[in-house]
Amino acid sequence: MKVIAVHLDRCTGCKTCELYCATERGSNGKTLLRAVQERPLPQARVRVEGSNEVPVAMQCRQCRQAPCLDACLTGALRRDGESGVVVIQENNCIGCWTCTLFCPYGVIYPWPQRKIALKCDRCVYMEVPVCVDVCPTKALELIDVDQYEDLLRVKRAETAADLQRKNRLDGALLLDLVERAGS
Amino acid sequence: MDCVIIGGGVAGMRAVLSFRRQWPDKTITLIDTEKEIGYYRTLLPQFMNRTLPENKLFFWQQQDDPRVRVISGVTVESIDRKNRTLFLSNRDSVQYRRLLIASGGRPIVPAVCRTAGGEGIYPVRSLAVARAARDWLPDHPQVVILGGGLVGVKTAAHLAGYNISVTLVEKEKQLLPQALSKEASALVEAELREKKIRLLLGSTVEDLRFNRGALSGVRANGAWISCQTLFVAAGSLPEVAFLSDSGLLQDGRLEVAASLQTSDENIFAAGDAVTIVDNGAFTPWTWPQAMVQGSLAAANLYAPTMSSLRCLSRVNAMNLNGLSLAVIGLPVAGAKRSVYSRPEAGIFRELYHVDGRIVGGALLGDISNAGRLHSLMVSSEPAGTDFNELLRPRLDSFAGTTSCCVKYNRRATLLSEGA
Repeated sequence: MKVIAVHLDRCTGCKTCELYCATERGSNGKTLLRAVQERPLPQARVRVEGSNEVPVAMQCRQCRQAPCLDACLTGALRRDGESGVVVIQENNCIGCWTCTLFCPYGVIYPWPQRKIALKCDRCVYMEVPVCVDVCPTKALELIDVDQYEDLLRVKRAETAADLQRKNRLDGALLLDLVERAGS
Repeated sequence: MDCVIIGGGVAGMRAVLSFRRQWPDKTITLIDTEKEIGYYRTLLPQFMNRTLPENKLFFWQQQDDPRVRVISGVTVESIDRKNRTLFLSNRDSVQYRRLLIASGGRPIVPAVCRTAGGEGIYPVRSLAVARAARDWLPDHPQVVILGGGLVGVKTAAHLAGYNISVTLVEKEKQLLPQALSKEASALVEAELREKKIRLLLGSTVEDLRFNRGALSGVRANGAWISCQTLFVAAGSLPEVAFLSDSGLLQDGRLEVAASLQTSDENIFAAGDAVTIVDNGAFTPWTWPQAMVQGSLAAANLYAPTMSSLRCLSRVNAMNLNGLSLAVIGLPVAGAKRSVYSRPEAGIFRELYHVDGRIVGGALLGDISNAGRLHSLMVSSEPAGTDFNELLRPRLDSFAGTTSCCVKYNRRATLLSEGA
């Protein structure tokens, strides 16, 4: 299953992903100028969280054991058989927002004006997710979830090497990264 | 029969759906007092104001499933635990191997309303009553709602404005006294007043008067209010009377462990009928809790190792016809309190925390991030020290970039085509 990964070291918190997601996926006009004039305002399925120092673009993690699926009585939330992505069928959503209460990442958003819940479906019916396509720093990347651990290992090694270069071994030891850097 | 479920409310229905998915070879019987089952009780106010058609109320129809048998319009009168048999009001009996009691609650109807016996009084609970009220309302639009809890407030919020005048009577000095702090409740009260709803707080219905058998007035605080329809939303009590001789009740309560198992290993219970005993007694009678409990009970019925309910709070979320509301947990006396408030935008968010751990809170106006906050509370993980950051709403997508348009509700018409 493919998911959207975030490179924390590349995310600048510019919110380009938010704007394009809301415009491309949420608006009728499909341009930023038209989108900001629509009512209700189009909503993004990805939000930049974290602080200004450490921003991170957050969207649905597509959990393998998704609490939102258990919380949805209507069947509006379902897992797409082919892609494994959890998608929402807006016609079946009654806006009870039980799913928003049980999403541990807080990435299912209520949309009171339309009385539905909103979540990232990884643009499953598009070639590439909009946010991944437009991210100016390539902080967002579509990866296979099985490659995720490999990617993390590489990242950890890079971080440890970086800490060693900067003579900040305390941090590297604390994170148990020195051996990994050498491996 | 492998499994019998008493009650076709949200806990019972959720249990049916989960049970069928987890134990596809086992048979199940669902028994319910109402003739119609599988509908959203929480949407009855929208149904009564005619914004929601009846067919949209139902989320489940009995499919051609030979492993699900539905007995509707019948009540369970007693239970013989020794022979694992239920005795029904139609003189039938049903045997079970595992039993799930999800009989829900029955509305509390104060004596003054109970003895009156005239037309125009509706306890808010079932579809049959809601349907009768829906037909009654157009010719009787002066409404009094007794009870300022979640059901009463939601009913008031959805009825007001549809050629219906609404007065809400609550005995406490604030609305939603069992769910919100006084400050949070003030926002709800302002929202209801905005909708032209008259609030009588610290009052109760003292007397009723009738004209030709139909309700014509209600006395509250010593003054008569002209009224043709009275909705009773004064809370509910567990519907467990049929268990009185079963030995399952302790002090009139149906107590279960966190696994939702009763003192009988073959009998489980979920939803509004139960009191959960786990380092204290909890009665988390809300819609999301009923969903979670129904699912968990179904999973535990035949599980070799049972799971426990992790969340014991009165978690709830709803849309009060424009005002979003999420209750993560009830206000906790003695806990520290952090607040994010933007009254001009109708947003109020508060958290209660002890030693850096969230123990309760509520979000109004903007309920974004409710899931994360709730998750932090359930896991009892330290939430850090920056509760202001945790409380910060995740704003509308364009709020940061087009603040003028959003903040002042001013559309960018000068830039639009044809302007």
